[in-house]
Amino acid sequence: MAPSPLPSPRGRWVPQTDHAFDPPPSLPVGGPPGDNSTVDWCLYQLNGAAEFEVSEADIISTVEFNHTGELLATGDKGGRVVIFQREPESKNEPYNQGEYNVYSTFQSHEPEFDYLKSLEIEEKINKIKWLPQQNAAHSLLSTNDKTIKLWKITERDKRPEGYNLKDEEGKLKDLSTVTSLQVPVLKPMDLMVEVTPRRIFANGHTYHVNSISVNSDCETYMSADDLRINLWHLAITDRSFNIVDIKPANMEDLTEVITASEFHPHHCNLFVYSSSKGSLRLCDMRASALCDKHSKLYEEPEDPSNRSFFSEIISSVSDVKFSHSGRYMLTRDYLTVKVWDLNMETKPVETYQVHDYLRSKLCSLYENDCIFDKFECAWNGSDSVIMTGAYNNFFRMFDRNTKRDVTLEASRESSKPRAILKPRRVCVGGKRRKDDISVDSLDFTKKILHTAWHPTENIIAIAATNNLYIFQDKVNSEMH
Amino acid sequence: MLGRGLKRKLSDYEENMAGLSSRQLVLNMCLTKLQTYKMLVEPNLHRSVLIANTVQQESNCCDLRSAEDQIENSLLIVSDDDMSSAISSILKDLDFVEDISPPTCLVPTGDDQPKFPENAGLKLEDDRQDLKGAECVFGSFEISNSTSYLKDLAIDDIFEDIDTSMYDSDFCCPPLMPPRPPPLATEEPLKTFPSCNSSSANNIQICRTDLSELDHIMEILVGS
Repeated sequence: MAPSPLPSPRGRWVPQTDHAFDPPPSLPVGGPPGDNSTVDWCLYQLNGAAEFEVSEADIISTVEFNHTGELLATGDKGGRVVIFQREPESKNEPYNQGEYNVYSTFQSHEPEFDYLKSLEIEEKINKIKWLPQQNAAHSLLSTNDKTIKLWKITERDKRPEGYNLKDEEGKLKDLSTVTSLQVPVLKPMDLMVEVTPRRIFANGHTYHVNSISVNSDCETYMSADDLRINLWHLAITDRSFNIVDIKPANMEDLTEVITASEFHPHHCNLFVYSSSKGSLRLCDMRASALCDKHSKLYEEPEDPSNRSFFSEIISSVSDVKFSHSGRYMLTRDYLTVKVWDLNMETKPVETYQVHDYLRSKLCSLYENDCIFDKFECAWNGSDSVIMTGAYNNFFRMFDRNTKRDVTLEASRESSKPRAILKPRRVCVGGKRRKDDISVDSLDFTKKILHTAWHPTENIIAIAATNNLYIFQDKVNSEMH
Repeated sequence: MLGRGLKRKLSDYEENMAGLSSRQLVLNMCLTKLQTYKMLVEPNLHRSVLIANTVQQESNCCDLRSAEDQIENSLLIVSDDDMSSAISSILKDLDFVEDISPPTCLVPTGDDQPKFPENAGLKLEDDRQDLKGAECVFGSFEISNSTSYLKDLAIDDIFEDIDTSMYDSDFCCPPLMPPRPPPLATEEPLKTFPSCNSSSANNIQICRTDLSELDHIMEILVGS
């Protein structure tokens, strides 16, 4: 039985799933599974209210699949977390296969006020990270600017009945009516999903937390803010260990902040953190207690021909992700995504232009603060394709093997359910094809900052303001 | 905010002229942003550092220019030095704001959001703060109109003995002001005021110096 969604505390979020029950149109299908160069993406699901009903609290601020891809979590500006669960396949309803339905909704963080500093702390969820599943329950970490919380998600689908001392409503029975002894039995009940906060990791950060990462040892995790990185044990909330501190003795000398960090997927002693100057530092926790000295520094020398006022600002790394193999790192700065080989510190092995046509617009993008937008990036399961968001609700995919790239759009108008997404093109003057968009018509308020790729399959989750789009590979969806 | 009297002609490809006006434009924007961020209750460290570095790099580039350009750029050189000192003090203030106290566990009570009427004219995140103020979880405390609430309190009576003349400035620095007086019911927070006053006195002095420097820079850049 499908779990019913828990009522949202604000009562405004209404999940709407758009899916057609028509058979998919018979269009030429992409290549065999695994051949990512000819993947055809189609809209599978769209969740979220229509644009004119958007409230700021509904804006999605993070998206994350769990390790199996069965669960998909989103966090929003209002401090809520919504978890979707993928429907198991069944032969009875062939077109409902693999659909992500709302599994649970809960309020993770509330707005807080720090009286000593006269500061308000936003409830916006900055990051969600799933813990690897170790028993029947699922666990995840969610964080806002200051506090990290560990949540346990459990299912209850049975209920004990037939108590000796209590009746059906739970009231104590009159003992004189009890004449025989019975063993309570477990009877099935409607599935209930319970979410409980198991740990609250507070007071660890003075500055704004920008990332959290669970270690492969499954016992520790780290949280990073602008100037410091802390190591926590999942079971201990009153202590954390500071492993990186780049705060200078004199704040006047501050020239660099930490922008993102992540543990290596296999080596529990290694982690990387990126900076606002565009560099990456790989640190080994075995080397010393305080990892201020990096083991490796990854930095590309600046290209003098591309120098401008904004060179430093656009070089700031907004996201860093290890590949599944652990061999490479993916970074996103304002105009490019770069693949770095852990063994080569001097420059990235691959650089892809996300929207180079914005290079001549940097001044106006600086004026409206868009130049500070923090885009995320993602690997596919086999590390052969990378994905990142852009403006105008566009998102880009780059195939590392074929060197082909594609621009797709996440919008209600251009996405009919099950129809294949048409590649988009931005023209910069010169020849203009039909359906091209000119740089000046791009909508900079429609930005895709948060994207996630299923760990093994060609399923992607794209957050566009308050809407969650789930796209699937045509072949994938037809096989079910 | 464009430099007054500097018209860019399409036919004018002279690099110096074009470079100068766009540079001024960007530096003006940097200054405005830094000022705005400083006004915020909680400045964005990442952005402030990026902007400060950009300005720093430009002032370094400027120093390398040839002698002829020196005369043309003399106004800018003066302002760059002033700007770097202004930026240093902004970063120092960030330190003060952030590490003023150990991060505390927070319990929402009946207090209201701090309001700074002097900043009404500036385009800040005031709207956002107002929104948050309305949605804050403050239990059953009913706030119908926060400004009238302020007027109802006899604030002057409570703080008669504290000299607040230093804090009467046109440009206030939110992080450096003492916390807003709490509702009459609670007395504890009053104890923190004396310590807050003494430590913030120096910083307010610095703040006022920077602001007059910034005003000076603005005047030069705008050319009035």
